Amino acid sequence: MEIVVCVKPVPEPETRLRAAADGRTYDTEAVKFVLAGYDESAVEQALLLKESIPGSKVHAVAFGPSPRTEEVLRASLALGCDQATWVEAPSELRPDPLATAHALARAIRPLPHDLVLCGKQAGDDESGLVAPALGELLGVPDFGFVVDLRWDAGSSRLTFRRETEAGEERWEAPLPVVVAMQQAWNDPRTAKLPAILKSRKVPIAKVAWTPLPAELGPTVPVRFELPPPRTGAKIVEYKTPGEAAEKLVRILREEAKVFP
Amino acid sequence: MSARVLVVGELRDGHLADPTLESVGSALALAGGPEGVVGFLAGASARSAASEYGRYGVADVRVAESGSFDSVPPAFLAPVVVATASETRSDTIVVGGTTFGRDLTGRVAARWNAAAANGVTEVRLTGEGFLVRRPVFGGRATETLRLEGPRRVLSLRPHSFSAPEEKPTEVRVTPAAAPEPAPGLLGPKRVAVAPIASGAGPGLTDAAIVVSGGRGLRAPENFHLVEELAQALGAAVGASRAVTDAGWRPPSFQVGQTGKTVSPQLYIAVGISGAIQHIVGMVSSRVIVAINSDATAPIFKVADYGLVGDLFEIVPALTAEVRRVRGL
Ligand SMILES: Cc1cc2nc3c(=O)[nH]c(=O)nc-3n(C[C@H](O)[C@H](O)[C@H](O)COP(=O)(O)OP(=O)(O)OC[C@H]3O[C@@H](n4cnc5c(N)ncnc54)[C@H](O)[C@@H]3O)c2cc1C
Repeated sequence: MEIVVCVKPVPEPETRLRAAADGRTYDTEAVKFVLAGYDESAVEQALLLKESIPGSKVHAVAFGPSPRTEEVLRASLALGCDQATWVEAPSELRPDPLATAHALARAIRPLPHDLVLCGKQAGDDESGLVAPALGELLGVPDFGFVVDLRWDAGSSRLTFRRETEAGEERWEAPLPVVVAMQQAWNDPRTAKLPAILKSRKVPIAKVAWTPLPAELGPTVPVRFELPPPRTGAKIVEYKTPGEAAEKLVRILREEAKVFP
Repeated sequence: MSARVLVVGELRDGHLADPTLESVGSALALAGGPEGVVGFLAGASARSAASEYGRYGVADVRVAESGSFDSVPPAFLAPVVVATASETRSDTIVVGGTTFGRDLTGRVAARWNAAAANGVTEVRLTGEGFLVRRPVFGGRATETLRLEGPRRVLSLRPHSFSAPEEKPTEVRVTPAAAPEPAPGLLGPKRVAVAPIASGAGPGLTDAAIVVSGGRGLRAPENFHLVEELAQALGAAVGASRAVTDAGWRPPSFQVGQTGKTVSPQLYIAVGISGAIQHIVGMVSSRVIVAINSDATAPIFKVADYGLVGDLFEIVPALTAEVRRVRGL
């Protein structure tokens, strides 16, 4: 199976966020970037499939600026991806999920792609738009919120589960498909040092970036805001559990107004 | 300045889902009245539910009435939605930010050459353009985006918009333009649907109130304390990773960095210490209550209200009090 996995660098989850000087996006100065959490699940899923289907290959594809995008591609190679392709974005380019999908689609079209795996959203902008847009641009079905993807060699179909409001859905799908993975249910592996060293020597293919035509409706960041810091809980004083319950319910109804 | 808005509805138990009513509310504001709003529904019971749009003054309703829409991939619906938007000369498509809506947004945007945003909490059409605000970084920050170009697609974060006032009118139901689906889209099949264990799953990301339990509950057989409180409140049940890793509850219950992000009106953390990986999944909740025996637990730094004490005493008392005031 020829598997493409899309990866994105995002700030480490523990990063202290600040607005950039122009107030439009977040400040990337001195921020450490890592492979996005849901993308880690997607890479893990790709590698699990590769290990279970002889002759499979995993190709990591990314769109974004230097150096962080190259770094997550290297990290993906170190985890076990076979090849990598990078669409380098100009460093001043502002994020736009649809433009990202177009850039990734251009890179993926010429590659063999039975299965395109993505995270369902990235931990920074959480747009959740790239995988479905990619499905449309590649002309294949897409599925979001997917867990537990398996290959059924007998029927040549993927089987997987999706958690939706309807409940837990089970699906079967022939290839090709785009799949956006839900949470890190699969406990992603970490890279070993020899693999990290080896991955540094793998050449990364480059695909040129071209701007989207303006009529495609760009998304322009206008403001990035942090909420006022939470000041700490108001501790409810009480003598008996009954009093604690009574006081809390009264607060929730009368002060916080959240009680049904 | 006003928009022409197509609301893509979602059915739950044969009726318009709450996120759809919220979409109608936002659409009426954007369009400056019901004349600029068109309702859309797909599925086996689309026609019978179509009249529900009329309650809110929306008279023009397009339906793709086919049971096949209930079991095909979301991608299948995008061509019908886009054709309907073009036919009704809509410039904006609004859908509730459920799994259904979030999956549809990107697909429709790519097909319609539109700007798009998921999980929107505020929409404004001003001299500055079409502005949307949405939480990012797990609710630790918000961004405001300008959606440029002539078309846009939005999914709205549940509970962020109000359902509209009732203003009943007769509806005109018209079958939606249904282009032939591309053959490649026909292969996938939904083979089964099972209801998700109580409260967890997407119900969790949707719910107005979430009660989550942590390791402080000590053992799986005590988790019912959290579930009973949730039931009394009409809340969804969540858990910390300590609980899901120990197998007390399945991973679908997990709130946090590697689980679900929730932002209900009320989040109650029971016996949860408040590790940063948990916090990032719930900090954007409107009101946070923590129940913990350790007054120095980090959860109290992000909570609005705290009860310091033994959860085994407090939670049953709280459940009883909630039942009492709700007359249950
Ligand atoms: C990469 C990574 C990702 C992670 N992702 C997540 C995630 O998505 N979600 C998540 O939740 N965690 C996540 N974690 C784990 C996280 O760091 C914590 O270990 C976890 O959240 C702790 O769960 P807890 O609060 O239930 O348990 P503990 O930290 O053990 O806290 C239990 C609390 O219960 C209180 N308590 C004990 N007895 C009582 C009593 N009788 N009455 C009242 N209170 C009592 C204690 O005072 C304590 O504060 C992640 C960790 C890593 C490294």
